[in-house]
Amino acid sequence: MGDTRLISNPQRMSGDEINPAAVAQAVEDVQGDDRWMSQHTRFVQECKDAEPEVLFIGDSMVQLMQQYEIWRELFSPLHALNFGIGGDTTCNVLWRLQNGELDNIRPKVTVVWVGTNNHEHSAEQVAGGILAIAQLLTSRLPKTKVVVLGLLARGDGPNPLREKNAAVNGFLRSWLPRLGQAQFLDVGAGFVHSDGTISTRDMFDFLHLTAAGYRAIAKPLSDLLLQILDETPEEKRASLV
Amino acid sequence: MSSEDSNPAATPTPGVDTQGDGRWMSLHNHFVSNSKDKEPDVLFVGDSLVQLLYQFEVWRDLFSPLHALNFGVGGDATQHVLWRLSNGELGHISPKVVVLWVGTNNHGHTAEQICGGIMAIVQLIKDKLPKAYTLVLGVLPRGKMPNPLRERNAQVNKLVQEAVSSLPHASLLNVDPGFVHSDGSISHQDLYDYLHLTPQGYQAVCQPLHAHLKGLLEKQAEN
Repeated sequence: MGDTRLISNPQRMSGDEINPAAVAQAVEDVQGDDRWMSQHTRFVQECKDAEPEVLFIGDSMVQLMQQYEIWRELFSPLHALNFGIGGDTTCNVLWRLQNGELDNIRPKVTVVWVGTNNHEHSAEQVAGGILAIAQLLTSRLPKTKVVVLGLLARGDGPNPLREKNAAVNGFLRSWLPRLGQAQFLDVGAGFVHSDGTISTRDMFDFLHLTAAGYRAIAKPLSDLLLQILDETPEEKRASLV
Repeated sequence: MSSEDSNPAATPTPGVDTQGDGRWMSLHNHFVSNSKDKEPDVLFVGDSLVQLLYQFEVWRDLFSPLHALNFGVGGDATQHVLWRLSNGELGHISPKVVVLWVGTNNHGHTAEQICGGIMAIVQLIKDKLPKAYTLVLGVLPRGKMPNPLRERNAQVNKLVQEAVSSLPHASLLNVDPGFVHSDGSISHQDLYDYLHLTPQGYQAVCQPLHAHLKGLLEKQAEN
């Protein structure tokens, strides 16, 4: 499904064109308060001080999770770091990972959740960008396992972005397993009702999750993380007798 | 000749669906139909700072008991709120107090224009709800360190304060508890992305807001 050459080289589309969704790019400060760079700088600093077992990286879906109780309940105990920035595309995440946000840390698992903001790119390009992120992670952190979360449906009723996000997920489902250390987790089941609508009880603006929405996705995710952490051998440590 | 024509911040403008899923209009329609069977005493309207407030415990603790509705839309600038309130969101309700929190997303507008936009909303509320009181919340500082948007927002608050000072039906409440530290920095513990409030940030903002609101509601009851 899709261009199989992307699996080995997601930076290139068919015909050897560069995949724009796999090109690292910082966010430009157009508003005037430089908040994106401030957040990136803070994450780089956190890498110096922290020893996370789990790293979350992505867009506002990742970032907002940390503001809800569920983060403290399920993910803080796993020594998780949250490097989500609202509005980020695959390009922005790639840039951040290449510019300090992986320095000095060795998480056992990295959770990647990004792609819904890649408005300029096709589904195949977006999936290629996510694949490029997974490849970067496994090359920089050879022992890490990568969990890529599927893009959620969005919008009040059926719309082209839902189809696009579903297509991205379709590509990821078939491409990711071939990476070996990466896997795909679909946490979107149940959000779209039989009449095609999404409830504001789950997504308060038909995109961002409510506390209830996060609760629904956090359980399968945390179960998977616990399973992976359980399977990962502890690094040898000097023990006090 | 009204100044609305020359002030984009005071010209009712619907949100444009640039992404492809029509969420802005969906939310507006949701608010309009949601208001049909509600009788709120308080209406919160504005941008993401209003919208996100609804997602945290603080809303249930402090504002649900006041019978409050939340019509916040992330990304909204004054002209968007003006459009929403002119197109149905005030159609079926008569709140005693409207809490208005908007202005930080008016990129490209001057402080004067943003003030004009806020005052246009205040006037619209007075026209549609003659008995309601409008509480305008001061726009918060933003960004990790000092920057032009902080200056702009502070100037907006100053201008709005002057404009409402002569009005019996509106006032400005400064809800910044002191987010800017002595070195000029804002902490991510209060504003997690140097713009949006954490639950801790909301607590600091909402305790005094809640007390002020209760006072207003009691006064409205007396009238």
